Amino acid sequence: MSTQGTSIPRRLLLGSTAAAAAGGLLTGFGAGTLRSAQATTQIPASELGYRSFYGQYQSGIIDAQQEHAVFIGWDMRWREGSKDQSKKQQVQALLQMISDDAARLMSGRGVLADTEPEMAQPPSELTLTVGLGQSLLDVIGQGTVGSMPAFANDELEKQYQQSDLLIQFCSQDPTVLHHAVRAVSKNLRQLTTQRFVQTGFMRPMPGADTFRNLFGQVDGVNNPADQAREQAVFGEGGWIANGTTLALRRFEMDLDRWDEVDVTGRDFALGRRQSDGSPLSGTSVNDPVDLTAENELGLPSIAANAHVALAKPSHGGETIHRRGYNFDDGQHAGLLFASFQSDPRSSFIPVQHRLAAADALNTWLKPVGSALYAILPGVDEGGYLGQQLFS
Amino acid sequence: MTALVLGFGLLLTGCAQSAPATEQSTTSATSTTAQQGTQAQALTTSDTWAKAAETGMSAAFGKLHNSADYPVELHQVTDAQGDEIQLHEMAGSGQDMSMKQIEGDLVIAPGAEVELAPGGNHLMFMDLKEPLVAAQTITLNLEFSDGSSTTVDFPIRNFDGAKEKYDEHAGH
Repeated sequence: MSTQGTSIPRRLLLGSTAAAAAGGLLTGFGAGTLRSAQATTQIPASELGYRSFYGQYQSGIIDAQQEHAVFIGWDMRWREGSKDQSKKQQVQALLQMISDDAARLMSGRGVLADTEPEMAQPPSELTLTVGLGQSLLDVIGQGTVGSMPAFANDELEKQYQQSDLLIQFCSQDPTVLHHAVRAVSKNLRQLTTQRFVQTGFMRPMPGADTFRNLFGQVDGVNNPADQAREQAVFGEGGWIANGTTLALRRFEMDLDRWDEVDVTGRDFALGRRQSDGSPLSGTSVNDPVDLTAENELGLPSIAANAHVALAKPSHGGETIHRRGYNFDDGQHAGLLFASFQSDPRSSFIPVQHRLAAADALNTWLKPVGSALYAILPGVDEGGYLGQQLFS
Repeated sequence: MTALVLGFGLLLTGCAQSAPATEQSTTSATSTTAQQGTQAQALTTSDTWAKAAETGMSAAFGKLHNSADYPVELHQVTDAQGDEIQLHEMAGSGQDMSMKQIEGDLVIAPGAEVELAPGGNHLMFMDLKEPLVAAQTITLNLEFSDGSSTTVDFPIRNFDGAKEKYDEHAGH
């Protein structure tokens, strides 16, 4: 990084410490853990507010989750009469511009032609994470991630479906975030049309990576940490070395009907206690989800259709890394589900099929958005995002 | 126009820009043209960009730094598509500013930096022969009073400002 910022070793930013806890429960709406408390206190560097744009991986994926996020999807507007080769060059130029924008903003500088560069300071852990839909991989002629399949009970709205291009913006400061979003959006005008802007928020529970979702549940328990996280996100089966995929789903919550459910019913639907995130098969948030445990009546402690029962990876290859956010757009509130995984076909997609078919929480959830993106590999200084695809 | 000018590469490339480069050392980029001790060699640039436009006028901006102990005098700017590019300065004050062509060369004092910015000095495309397309890059050839020259990349960006009035009556 070339400005007043301090270059932070990436490993300092990787969420947590060695306590990598036995295998991940994969709950979309799960409970909390204190696992990474040490890690959180070991990241004084993050107080500087800079995350590196350059590195093996893009930032904003396996590094600690910021409290505010905006996911924006754009569709390409090709120059009139563009042939295939020209389209490919337009995508390339776009990625070069976005790379320049991201490098500048993440180091606390305005973009070129920025009318308010002062707002880039301090960047407050700003990250821009860039992904492409299969449509653009096809234009480039390299890479396969496919598209998100239809899931049972989907009620998708066109505005929240697949876009050509996606940027995940994250920061601890919503004002900085707004500036970054606006600066990049201005640069993309005429080149693209905006499909969606999805804004999210969360606050980690003290000493943990988990947060309260808008159902009141502790979300993010048993997310993989450290090497397990890196393996789930960047391990075998990926579409490209050092790249990954993002599954982005928008779930509206029916909070009025959720209000009618007493806490026992809520805990039963999730398989964890709302109070502290502990599984119904245990007493503490860090206890494993034990699907064979029985209660005093001899019935399973965790019902077969409880969220955690269905979300639990049936094998290690199903592990995903969730990095989702709450949303409230004034009309609807819910969960902006975001997960990173190397191969969605063997992880996110089968798990989501199980959940869509039977999850007890579905009663109060309405999936309105769904998209899948190829997240580009990290960038070396002097390079640009996606450069590997154009050589 | 000299052979040097004709010799340099393409314009408007989507791929020539090494994306996040923030500073171009023109000396290394043009070792064949920037001789030791020339004005071209003394120039370093950063944050260069040009305003996207389909037709008509546009402008280019950036920071020009003179790293030498002698003045750098920017005499002329050209591009490969043959646009007329003038060196402009702003005159007047407040809301009532207009631009006019700089008389003589744009002089950068030893060790000094001149910022070309909306509302200030800038490079002015008088009537584009080809569009300046956002996200692409245009390469400009900067020629100096000592006959040296160098090329500088200007990434093209959307910009709604820089709508300065052009003073038709100012001396051309």
